[in-house]
Amino acid sequence: MLPRQFTVVLSALALAASAVAADTPLKVEYPKPLFAGTPRPISLANLEPAGIKRPDLMVPAGTTLLSKGKKVTSSDALPVIGELSFITDGDKTGIDGAYVELGPNTQWVQVDLGASAKVAAVAVWHFHSQARVYHDVVIQVSDDAEFKKGVTTIFNTDDDNSSKLGKGSDKSYVETNNGRVVEGKGAVGRYVRLYSNGNTSDELNHYCEVEVFGALK
Amino acid sequence: MPLLRWLPLALLTLAAFWLRTHDLARRPMHADEANQAVKLGELLDAGRYAFDPRDHHGPTLYYAALPVAWLRGESSLASLTEGTVRLVPALFGTLTVLLVAALAAPLGRWPALAAAALVATAPPAVYYSRYFIQETLLVTWVLGAILAVRTWWRTGLTRWALAAGVCAGCAQSTKASAPLFLAAGLLALWVARDGTPLTRRPGHDLAFALGATVLAAALLYSSFGTNLHGLRDALTVYTHAATRFGGEAAATGHEKPWWYYLRIFGWHREGGLLWHQLAWSALAVAGALVAVCRRDAWIRGAAIYTLLIATAFSLFAYKTPWHAVHFVPGLAIVAAGALAAIARLRTGRLVALAFALITVATLVQQAWRAAFLRPADPRNPYAYVHSSPDVLKYRPLADAARQAFPGQPIRVISEEYWPLPWYFRGLKDVGYYIETPMDCDGALLVVSPNMVEAVRATLKEHYDESILGLRPGVLCIVMQRERGPAGAREPVANQPR
Repeated sequence: MLPRQFTVVLSALALAASAVAADTPLKVEYPKPLFAGTPRPISLANLEPAGIKRPDLMVPAGTTLLSKGKKVTSSDALPVIGELSFITDGDKTGIDGAYVELGPNTQWVQVDLGASAKVAAVAVWHFHSQARVYHDVVIQVSDDAEFKKGVTTIFNTDDDNSSKLGKGSDKSYVETNNGRVVEGKGAVGRYVRLYSNGNTSDELNHYCEVEVFGALK
Repeated sequence: MPLLRWLPLALLTLAAFWLRTHDLARRPMHADEANQAVKLGELLDAGRYAFDPRDHHGPTLYYAALPVAWLRGESSLASLTEGTVRLVPALFGTLTVLLVAALAAPLGRWPALAAAALVATAPPAVYYSRYFIQETLLVTWVLGAILAVRTWWRTGLTRWALAAGVCAGCAQSTKASAPLFLAAGLLALWVARDGTPLTRRPGHDLAFALGATVLAAALLYSSFGTNLHGLRDALTVYTHAATRFGGEAAATGHEKPWWYYLRIFGWHREGGLLWHQLAWSALAVAGALVAVCRRDAWIRGAAIYTLLIATAFSLFAYKTPWHAVHFVPGLAIVAAGALAAIARLRTGRLVALAFALITVATLVQQAWRAAFLRPADPRNPYAYVHSSPDVLKYRPLADAARQAFPGQPIRVISEEYWPLPWYFRGLKDVGYYIETPMDCDGALLVVSPNMVEAVRATLKEHYDESILGLRPGVLCIVMQRERGPAGAREPVANQPR
């Protein structure tokens, strides 16, 4: 048998190693910016400053991109422009032909990961060729495809509950090529659903790309 | 039977009227529309109007809207509605369809009907007939003047010279660019003339026409004699224009390449949407060839008018899409000339009918998309720097804030704020500031991103902040004063359910 002190030291090293392993920065590939002109600088209590690089999001080691090429469904099953498959096709350039446009009012898209997973992060690019803010952005995770039970909300900018999904306190943000990377908060589920309710330029809803990072259970 | 003879044109006019008036209030007010509607509201409220040569076009739009507002029981700015103000260009736009049918009559009955159908369904004509600005009225007055001159030439009756003068005076009172269209129209008429005028007193009739022009313009610019300064200002408008658009002037932000209008009447794809008027433009090109080859004076006149207008607007760096509406009547008549030429060929009638139907169908599809499906979409070539649908959200917020904090002001602190004065019409204690005031507190604050830090520094009360758009790329921070004790906000539901 190993001496007791040696066991304690080994255990401490293992804990430290696991802690270090959890501090892996999430690698997200960002597309080139598409702003035609300089966006207006915005400083707002409920709005993130534009043009400032956000700190890397730390995710557990072994986190991988789970959503690439996965099936996407939507409240607008037949978008006029683009296809739902664009959302997980890896093309986040935001140019014409690389985004899908959903109808007005609150709409959602839903990524089926194929199996239940522990979600570490969700990255979303709505539309980044113009300074605009999407209203009531809500991201939820669930094992229920209907999102009627076991729903975890990991992001919510709906500060007046106009989308009837609960009032949120997350900050709205100006769309840029950096999109928005949201922490998964340990949510578990097979489906990731993203809501929005028009934007400051028009009443429509757009998605260039959604990436879900995590580990299958 | 006379009834059957006129039935197609009557049905076409009804269709044009429907396209121009259906669901008029749906599109948010453009900043220019809102500005003009507020000016009309001031005329309704105070009964006074004074021509402003620096920042506004002529008075005709406002005076034309007065009877429409009265008939609809809207006698103040507060009671004025989008539907009422937009009904004015809609009525003029419908009249334009009839005027084009009359102007194209020398081509024959069916080509004239085709020309009217092209105007009735042309996307620029439909879109800007639903838009409370001067452009459609100007088109109507100019066409009225051209038709009156032509009728005077053929009949020799002085009353047509008078009618031409009144139309020219009203055109001038609509927009200071009227002389360009009137000159182009006269040149086109000269090219298309047949013989000599029937009148025996051309000098007498010309004097009557000029007198009517001056009288009509003077009445309108002087606000029917209540503002004589308006007469002087009607002339200084060109000085202001030279200062604004002259060689030494700073860029206006509306400078565009020479082919801008060609693109509108050609085709382009933007954001996944295809915009085109190709079939019509192809017919118009064919019509121009007919005018050259067959020496058809009337088509040639219409072609020259269109070419002059297109050249002038293409050379002028300042371009806005509503100028495209001036191309529509000429293009329609020239295209109808092509249809008439095709119909004269053996078995050509069916081919001409097919071309006409296909062209009108494409125009209807494009007009529907522009005016009804995506009337404020930034990709819509006619929705120029248009207000975003978010502007409809400001008034409910203002009403709620006013209810929660009666007597407290609503402050709009922003370098840009149109069309908000329209949406806040009828509300008392609404202030607009382009610099940060000493006291910024109020029931509701609408603040530009550039000024929000300075505003926050002055605030004594607590506010909830959110973001709304004004138009694409232009955002406003909406600050709603918190109800109850500061900091006692509702708990958030941003937790697992």
